Amino acid sequence: MSIEAGASQYTVLHELGSGSFGTVYKAIDKTTGEIVAIKHIDLESTDEDIQDIQSEISILSSCTSPYVTQYKASFLRGHKLWIVMEFFGWGLKPGNLNEAHVAIICRELLLGLEYLHQEGKIHRDVKAANVLLSTSGKVKLADFGVATQLTNIKSQRNTFVGTPYWMAPEVIQEAGYDYKADIWSLGITALELINGGPPHADVHPMKVLFLIPKQSAPRLEGSQYSREFKDFIAQCLVKDCDRRPSAKELLRHKFIRSAGKVEALQELIERRQLWDGARERPSHPKYYEETLHTMSPKNDPDEWVFDTLSVIHANGQGLASGAEEALKRLDIKDAPLDYSSPPPATVIRGTVRRQPSVVLASPTKPRQASSQRRPLQPDMNFGNSASTVRVFRRVSDNSTAAQVDSDISVPGTTRDENRPPMAETVTKDAIYGRRLFNKVIDPSFQEVHAQTGNQAKRDALSRLADAWSALDAIDPEGEYQLMKLLLEKVQNDPKLSVHLSPSKTTSRDGTPQASPQKPGAKLVLAQNNPHLKSHRRRQSSMLPEDPKEKLVNLPGQAIPGMEHTKQLADVLYGRWAGGLRNRWPGA
Amino acid sequence: MSFLFGRRPRTNTVDLPKQAKEQISKLDGPGAAAKAEELAKTLGQMKFVLQGTQETESSPEQIYSLVTGMIQEDLLYLLALNLYRLPFESRKDAQVIFSYVLRFRPPSASPKSEPMALSYVINNRPEVLVELCNGYNHTESAAPAGTVLREVLKSDAATAIILYHDPSEGSPGAKGLTGIQPEARQSGRGVFWNFFDWIDRGSFDLSADAFNTFRDLLTKHKTIVAQYLSTNFDLFFNKYNTMLVQSQNYVTKRQSIKLLGEILLDRANYAVMTAYVDRGEHLKICMNLLRDPRKMVQYEGFHVFKVFVANPHKSIAVQKILLINRDKLLEFLRHFLEDRTEDEQFIDEREFLIKQIRNMPPTPVEPAQKPALLGSQAR
Repeated sequence: MSIEAGASQYTVLHELGSGSFGTVYKAIDKTTGEIVAIKHIDLESTDEDIQDIQSEISILSSCTSPYVTQYKASFLRGHKLWIVMEFFGWGLKPGNLNEAHVAIICRELLLGLEYLHQEGKIHRDVKAANVLLSTSGKVKLADFGVATQLTNIKSQRNTFVGTPYWMAPEVIQEAGYDYKADIWSLGITALELINGGPPHADVHPMKVLFLIPKQSAPRLEGSQYSREFKDFIAQCLVKDCDRRPSAKELLRHKFIRSAGKVEALQELIERRQLWDGARERPSHPKYYEETLHTMSPKNDPDEWVFDTLSVIHANGQGLASGAEEALKRLDIKDAPLDYSSPPPATVIRGTVRRQPSVVLASPTKPRQASSQRRPLQPDMNFGNSASTVRVFRRVSDNSTAAQVDSDISVPGTTRDENRPPMAETVTKDAIYGRRLFNKVIDPSFQEVHAQTGNQAKRDALSRLADAWSALDAIDPEGEYQLMKLLLEKVQNDPKLSVHLSPSKTTSRDGTPQASPQKPGAKLVLAQNNPHLKSHRRRQSSMLPEDPKEKLVNLPGQAIPGMEHTKQLADVLYGRWAGGLRNRWPGA
Repeated sequence: MSFLFGRRPRTNTVDLPKQAKEQISKLDGPGAAAKAEELAKTLGQMKFVLQGTQETESSPEQIYSLVTGMIQEDLLYLLALNLYRLPFESRKDAQVIFSYVLRFRPPSASPKSEPMALSYVINNRPEVLVELCNGYNHTESAAPAGTVLREVLKSDAATAIILYHDPSEGSPGAKGLTGIQPEARQSGRGVFWNFFDWIDRGSFDLSADAFNTFRDLLTKHKTIVAQYLSTNFDLFFNKYNTMLVQSQNYVTKRQSIKLLGEILLDRANYAVMTAYVDRGEHLKICMNLLRDPRKMVQYEGFHVFKVFVANPHKSIAVQKILLINRDKLLEFLRHFLEDRTEDEQFIDEREFLIKQIRNMPPTPVEPAQKPALLGSQAR
């Protein structure tokens, strides 16, 4: 297929939405007259390995199932990659559904999962946001951004990937997992659909990672639900993955067998459309849009968006215009600081975040449509929008750096999300204040909390953390000033400044060193600096920075020296020297 | 899975390869469509024997007899050759079959030994691997063949077979591993060299898949590759630079520049690197990349450029080019990719290069060391 011919085969109609990785358009395939969705991915605007995009395409292209969004083609046009997918209706809106709806959706999803699993694929990110609904009521599983293909159906994966609230305990524990992990996520999705949000939705996602393995599995409560429904969820949410049934087995479950026809879902669409019309919003529903990429640590502290969470928390008080205002006011050139203030964060997450450069070049309006929608939570259920929760993963088992990054991004973003974004935080100090909180304060609390064994101490600490978080919400400027003063005072005190110098990691007295929770180790790592993406990519030997260095990085402080400047020279010299020694005899 | 076998008489595992072979041979004749369907069923059964299902285990004895049957019937070769003609699902089945068969060791064999079918292919039937590569000739077979290949390329012997395949060297047919002469220069007609075309000309999917395999070929088994690149230095880098680095295809260009940087900075390829950065014309190509309108191309190009500049023993040719452009380069680098403010390593390296260029002596100096003579130049 010639490159140009590929593109000219389609007539692009209009934009459906723009998201994390590009813009999705509705288009017509001229040769067949079929309506398709085309995603344009600007490969220039991403450091992301093209390989990651490619691996998603290869998984998609090997799927042909009525329960999975159908991939059609992909081709390059200049540095834009076009991915053509079957055009498919709406995203699912959790809540708002009754038991009968959920039963149908679960059955369709199980059929999709059964197909994937027998193909040796694990979706790894099953949740309502990744489920699409057609006007005829058909249900499809979308977003293969983090799906994986096993070469051996019996083999397992260890990669830590997915969206925390939906993640199976074995995935979190990294003890090796298989296709059963999707079943757990399906169970959570069922709960999400009926309750409007996943279990623990009001808990910090970081904490959720502790809770899921530690607590007993969530159950469906409430007398209004049938016993079958409750049992179905209980079956999906068996913590021991060996005893958790497969998709095929669950298809025989009574709850599923007695589910109705997909046409019954049409009323959801109708309701949706009416509701949508009433809002008089520009009809820019988003259709197909996957999480094309896993978390890239570098720009991502704000990526953590938890859709369904916002359903519960956001109070929807005219924030849209506020965020938009903020976007306008925000000088994006303020990067790298821009992303630390919540209002732009919500904006940036969806569209800008990954490519500040692009935004500089063309601050286009259409993007605002999506960003605007963000704080006004309900709309997110149109398609799996940009608001789709970012997934993250450890790039490889031995790359602690990457893993560190993924961890840190949790606190920052979700905080932002759980709080109504505040438009007024655009002063520099406020931005620094927010950054301070996201990068330093909050992770520090997390770490100390994880290290603290004593319950009373932990409680005290949480209260302080809450108080601080309140300060951050109301007065990030003051927060910044406070921290500045604290630091100055510490520095001015000769004893303290020596004692609290970054090189010394003081171990907390009275606290058991080995923290009781295993995942604590993960949290401890969370302090590190998420600037390593390109480094990991270059396989450089960067060590995780001392967390305290972050403080030094604050403006007005000394900038860390250029110690690494010599690194390249040293490496190359080493090679030359080594090469001399190894030179082939006689050559 | 009783339903699979319940309805019709069960074909003996041993007969499956024979049956598949017959069905393949009839793919051309009358009733080809029906035959393709039968073949699809046979392959489905073979897949089932090999991998079992999520609920049932497969039996090593059955696998063993299936694998021996496949070797006897030369089925691996036939499958590879006809992969693109199979129906969609069967291509995936074939891919699974390949993966399992080429990985299978009888329970009695040591876990470190070479899987039996793979060993057979490497020593007696290298054409299987060649035909798998030729899977890139067709859109249909590219992805399944590529998947199998990348798995097989974990074996250094298989890598060597593909790299050193060269039909022009007399004795066509089964040479296998023992036929390889690492010192002999390649004619450029072997299957490996087709990758350049597949990568450059294919559709996005095909090209990208071929590139992944190509990368594996060049990075997984370092000593083999170092030797290979040294021997075939000119042939390889001529093609690499003209077809890949300067490709019109954005993805090919960007990926291949990146891979070039990785190859050069790999310790095992030290001799290749010194020879590469010795050439003025290589530097020219690279400096043009820095001026490419596309930022990511510039960025990838930078990581090759830095090797030229950091080389403490720059050749006269390289020094000349750098010196002539010194002021321009310094100015250029100062503003090069300025918006990468978060990429500390990049910023450091850029500073380092500026310093290096600034401190170069005003006239070219004879380097204290010359690159190791490479096959291309010495012989």
